[in-house]
Amino acid sequence: MRINSKQFLPKALKTLTLAVTLGFISNAQAEFNIFACEPEYAALAKELAPDARIYSATTAMQDPHQVQARPSLIAKMRQADLAICAGADLEIGWLPMLQMKSANAKVRSTDQGLFFAAEQIDTVDQMKSVDRSMGDVHAKGNPHLHFDPKRLLGVAEALTQKLMQLDPDSTAQYQANLARFSQRWNDAIPRWEQKAKPLNGKKIIAYHSSFKYLFNWLGLEQVADLEPKPGIPPSSSHLASLLTRAKQGDILAIIIASYQSERGADWLGERADLPVIVLPMSVGGNEQSVDLFSLYDSAIDLLLAAK
Amino acid sequence: MTISTMRLTGVAAACAIFSINAFAEDSSLTNPAISAVLDGYYQSAERPMSERVEGFGLGHTEVAMSANIDDMFYGKLTAVIEMHDGETELGLEEAFIQTLAMPYGLSMRAGRFLSDIGYLNNQHVHTDAFSDRPAAYRAFLGSHYFDDGVRLSYVAPTDLYWTMGVEAFKGDNMRAADEHNERDYKSTGVYTAFTKIGGDAGINGSWQAGLSYLRNENGRMTAEEHDHVAVLDEHDHEHSHSAQYTGENTYVADFVYKWAPNGNYKYQHLTLSGEFFRVTDFKPLEEEHDEHDAHDDEGKDYQDGWYLSSVYQFSPHWSAGLRYGQVDTQMMHDDHFDPQKLKETEVSLAWHQSHFSTVRLQYTNQQGTNFDGIEDDNVITLQYIMTLGAHGAHQF
Repeated sequence: MRINSKQFLPKALKTLTLAVTLGFISNAQAEFNIFACEPEYAALAKELAPDARIYSATTAMQDPHQVQARPSLIAKMRQADLAICAGADLEIGWLPMLQMKSANAKVRSTDQGLFFAAEQIDTVDQMKSVDRSMGDVHAKGNPHLHFDPKRLLGVAEALTQKLMQLDPDSTAQYQANLARFSQRWNDAIPRWEQKAKPLNGKKIIAYHSSFKYLFNWLGLEQVADLEPKPGIPPSSSHLASLLTRAKQGDILAIIIASYQSERGADWLGERADLPVIVLPMSVGGNEQSVDLFSLYDSAIDLLLAAK
Repeated sequence: MTISTMRLTGVAAACAIFSINAFAEDSSLTNPAISAVLDGYYQSAERPMSERVEGFGLGHTEVAMSANIDDMFYGKLTAVIEMHDGETELGLEEAFIQTLAMPYGLSMRAGRFLSDIGYLNNQHVHTDAFSDRPAAYRAFLGSHYFDDGVRLSYVAPTDLYWTMGVEAFKGDNMRAADEHNERDYKSTGVYTAFTKIGGDAGINGSWQAGLSYLRNENGRMTAEEHDHVAVLDEHDHEHSHSAQYTGENTYVADFVYKWAPNGNYKYQHLTLSGEFFRVTDFKPLEEEHDEHDAHDDEGKDYQDGWYLSSVYQFSPHWSAGLRYGQVDTQMMHDDHFDPQKLKETEVSLAWHQSHFSTVRLQYTNQQGTNFDGIEDDNVITLQYIMTLGAHGAHQF
């Protein structure tokens, strides 16, 4: 097709102007943008701010310690009004880089649009001193706190405060959303606890401290870790020592998270004749886990099935 | 020798390190992120234009400190200690401030920092999968180009990552040689402009592509009046960070693609990357009017280089890399230029006990034409790189 350049240029300019104007209009009416570092916080945001545009930087199939500060994440963080992350240094390898590269002043500090779940509650396993020979440990405690229902509720309350601070026009809406979520959550907790009663006092072997809060809550005891040190994958000599431990015969199951390799667990499970359970690390970690409620249901059901 | 490098005695450098360490142990100062990189190696021969020598040696031993200065500024200081010819050199690789609170996705950086041109250049060498930068980087950017200057960059508010920026630098390390010691260099010698786009390709893959331009006001050579002073003559003994081959205009195209099953980088991931450099307009202006520049092949007023690299981490403990790179450069001899070529094929195997430690074995085959006497040479490097202190960034 031949384009008449004399006509084309003004037309192109008009189109461009229109596009830019539309861009600004849609910007002005743009939704509240939420960047969640992990899917559990995207799910929590969905409960508390269902109208927001929510993006999860990671999935339940990805180790949240080992995320790359990749271009798509920079682009999403650039547009964020609020970034919700676990904190306690879980994202230390990538969040600071994203903040630096996205040049978005809104999500730089916790005074404004940055929210760390771990800062809202007391984490378990905080350490006075940390040495790397202990592995990749977090001095600020275990950041995988979303499997403790009471702590998560505390986070939900603090997150609602943050949402009201950043988007005061919708204050009533956020309060109503929190009230509804708290009600449903508080109803679910005794139901979960009742259902999980048979698990109380049972011993398990797990990979990393990914489910520490879940185990603490349900009274499960993690007697051994597939990782010789936090962050160091299972070695054959370590697995051999776990096999000796497993042969004592008091272990219920071997538990790994949806993002963890099954190799070491399968090796051990086969030799020790123990079931290997893959628990969803977060929402989206298996088919059943579509929100926080079904995530808890699924995790408890999977554990009960091992009996 | 570079102007930026201070020569100190070993004792003085050691004192400098210890004082920083003492700082780190002060528990009241938990705010700055302080880290050190230890890099030691043994290699069977020396790669041309490299900072690493034959035999035992220490690579970039880095001490870095960074923190938010206040709510508006971030600062970082990276000191590099290198041993050369029995002397300890303390150099500053980074000493910059960056704005944190500019609106509209804008940010500024000032001081000494790594230029954001190309893919590898803004990354620290200790994060590389090979012991030396590709030959193109060594030839045209002095391995990695850092300098004193300013940068303004912008990130667009789009779902497709799109950033662009401009930089201005002093450019001392990018100057063409001054054969007669009488050249009047421009004090602000280097200007750059770059843009990068990137995004995800499905759940498993991510990519980034970039284009950069570097204008070097001092990059053109001056005519030689005396006999046979090659630009390269010094470099065997000189381990400065200066570019060996310069030109007025440099164009860089780069891409990187990373793949991991489900986007989970813990167990396996693959990185494919490549860059192409073209450096033009380096011949002395007088030369162009020279009547006896007859050889056709020497008529071209550009040099280029490229590399392709593939690194696969096949378990949390092991990764392997394959890289091919070449440079086609021109060396001035009296009134004419001789073409040179260096081709490098490299294989590396690395063992990672943790996130923080790497031991690497690398084999390089070099095929050279008129390049430093290299014809068909093999280099074996055994190297460790370990980081301590603050957790480094997982830069894409």
